Amino acid sequence: MTPAPPLTWLDKLRDPSERTLGVLLLAPALLLLALIVVYPIGRLLFNSFYDLRLSGGSGARFVASENYALVLDDTDFWNAAKNTVLITLITVPGALAVGLGLAMLANLPFKRQWPVRLALLLPWALPLSFCGLIFAWFFHTEYGVVNDLLQRLGLADAAEPAMWLLRPGWAFTAICVAIIWKTSSFMALILLAGLQMIPKTLYEAAEVDGASRWQQFSQITVPMLMPSIIVALIFRTITALQTFDIPYTMTRGGPGNSTETLAMLIHKTTIDYLDLGYGSTLAVGMFLLSLCVTAVYLRRVGNAA
Amino acid sequence: MKVFEPRALRFIAAAIVVCNGFFPALWILFTSLKTEAELVRKPISWWPHEATLDNYVRAFTDQPLLRYMGNSFAVALGSTVVSLVVATLAAYALARLNLKHRQLILTAIVASTMFPLVTLLVPIFETMRSLSLLNTYTALILPYTVLNLPVCTLVLVSFFQSIPRDLENAAMIDGCTRLGALWRVVLPLAAPGVFTAGILAFVNAWDEFLLALSLNSSGSMRTLPVGITLYQGEFTFPWPIISAALIVAIVPVAVLIALFQERVVGGLTQGGLKG
Repeated sequence: MTPAPPLTWLDKLRDPSERTLGVLLLAPALLLLALIVVYPIGRLLFNSFYDLRLSGGSGARFVASENYALVLDDTDFWNAAKNTVLITLITVPGALAVGLGLAMLANLPFKRQWPVRLALLLPWALPLSFCGLIFAWFFHTEYGVVNDLLQRLGLADAAEPAMWLLRPGWAFTAICVAIIWKTSSFMALILLAGLQMIPKTLYEAAEVDGASRWQQFSQITVPMLMPSIIVALIFRTITALQTFDIPYTMTRGGPGNSTETLAMLIHKTTIDYLDLGYGSTLAVGMFLLSLCVTAVYLRRVGNAA
Repeated sequence: MKVFEPRALRFIAAAIVVCNGFFPALWILFTSLKTEAELVRKPISWWPHEATLDNYVRAFTDQPLLRYMGNSFAVALGSTVVSLVVATLAAYALARLNLKHRQLILTAIVASTMFPLVTLLVPIFETMRSLSLLNTYTALILPYTVLNLPVCTLVLVSFFQSIPRDLENAAMIDGCTRLGALWRVVLPLAAPGVFTAGILAFVNAWDEFLLALSLNSSGSMRTLPVGITLYQGEFTFPWPIISAALIVAIVPVAVLIALFQERVVGGLTQGGLKG
C-alpha cells in the first residue's frame, strides 16, 4: 500500500480520529471471528477436560486428562487419523498432477475459451456432497459406469463385477478418485492463472537455443509456476485434512470403518452420540495432527521451492 | 512451447478438459431420464432410449425438494449479504485507513481459513444450542459468514486499493463524510469486486455440508446438500430420482457461474494467489 497522503485540515475536521473509524469498521468482522472461532477454541479446550454427555442427563464432570488417555488408546481414532493422512497424501499430489495436466491443456490457444473455462468451473462449483453421490453411482457394482467401461475395455470380467464400495481397499480408492476429480479443477484454475503470467518470450528464447519440450517444461514452466503451485498445495492440504462430505455420501465410512476420516469420527461422536467432551478431545487431537502435517508439509514444500 | 499447435491436437486437448468437467453432470442427466426398467437392463445403456420425466416429478414429491432449495437460497443469500457488508467495512478500513496493526488484522482474518472448521463443530454446535438457534437460518448464516470472510475481504481489499484516493478526497471536499464517500463514490466503483466476492460467497455457502447436517437436522430446515442424501432408503438407492434431484439442484449454480465465468475465475485466482 502506498503511504497515505498527509491529512488536510478538512479531513481532520470531518473525521477526527482515524483510529475510531477503524475500530468501528473492523468491529463486526472481529466480533464474528470472536463468536465463531476464538470463543469456540477456548470452549473446545475446556470441554476436552470434561465428561460431557448430553444423552446421559448428568451434568458436566471434570475428568482432567482422562479423555486424552482414552483418545491415545482409541483404535477408532488412530484408524480415522490414518485414513485422513492417507487421503491427504494421495489426493493432494494426485489433484496437483491432474490439475497441472488440465491447466496445460486449457492453456492452449483456443478460439472459444468458454467451454474449457466452464468445464474447469463446474467441478469446483459442484457441492462435495453431490460429487460423492455422483461417484457412488459411478462406482455402483451392477449398473455403475466405471465397471461398464472396464468391461468394455476388456479389463474386467462381466460375470464378476468389482464391488467397489463394498471392499475396504477399493472403497478407499474410489473415494480418492472422487476427491481428485472434484479438487483438481480448482488446482487447474489457479495453475492456469499462473501459466498465463509466464511471458511467451521465455519459450521463444528457449526454442531458439534448441531446448526440447521437456526441458522447456522442467526449466521454465515448473520454476515459474512454483508460487502458484505452493499456494494451491497449501489450500488443498488444509481442506484434505478436513475431508468429510465425499466419504460420508459415498460409503458413510464403510465398509466397517475402513474409510472413516477424523471429521466423520468427530461428527459421529458429537452429533450422533452427543458425547461432547470426548468429541472435543478428538477435535483437539485432529487439530494437533493437522498442525503437524501442515508444518511438515510446508517445510517440505518450502525446501522444494 | 510452440505457438502453432496442430488444430487436431488443440481439439483433442479441449475435448479432454470438457469431457472431464462435464461428463459426471451429463451422466447424471442421462440417468435422470431413464426408466427403472432401462436402468437395470444389462449391458447398461448410455443414452436414455425411453426418456421419461417421471423421475423429476418424484424428486419433488418424495422429498420436499422445493423447501430444501428455498432453505439453501435463504441461507446462501443471507450469509452472502452479511459477508459482503462485514467484509466491505473491514476491507475499507484495511485498505484506506492508517491503522497500526493493519497487517496483523488482515493476517488474523485470512488465517481463520487455515483453521480446520471441523474441529470447531462441537463448540459451534453447543453455542447455537445454548442460544436456541439450532434449526434456524441464523445458525448457518453466522458460521458461513466467517467461512467467507477471508476470501471476500481479500478480493475487496485489492479492489479498494485499485481505486484512486483522489476521487474520495474530492467527494469529501464537496461535503461528503468519509462514510458518505465510501457509499457514494468508492462502492459504486468497487461494485465489480463486491459482485465477484458475492458469487464466491454464495457458491461456498450453497455447497457447505457438515455444519448444515449437524446444526439444521430437522426436516423443514434442511439445505439441499443434506436433503438430497435422504432419497436413499436403508437398502434402496433410487438412482434415477436422486439424479433428477441433483440436476434440479445443480442448475441454479451452474447458470450463475456460466453467466459470470470470467469474474468467478478472476475472483478465485485473486483470492487464492494472495492468500
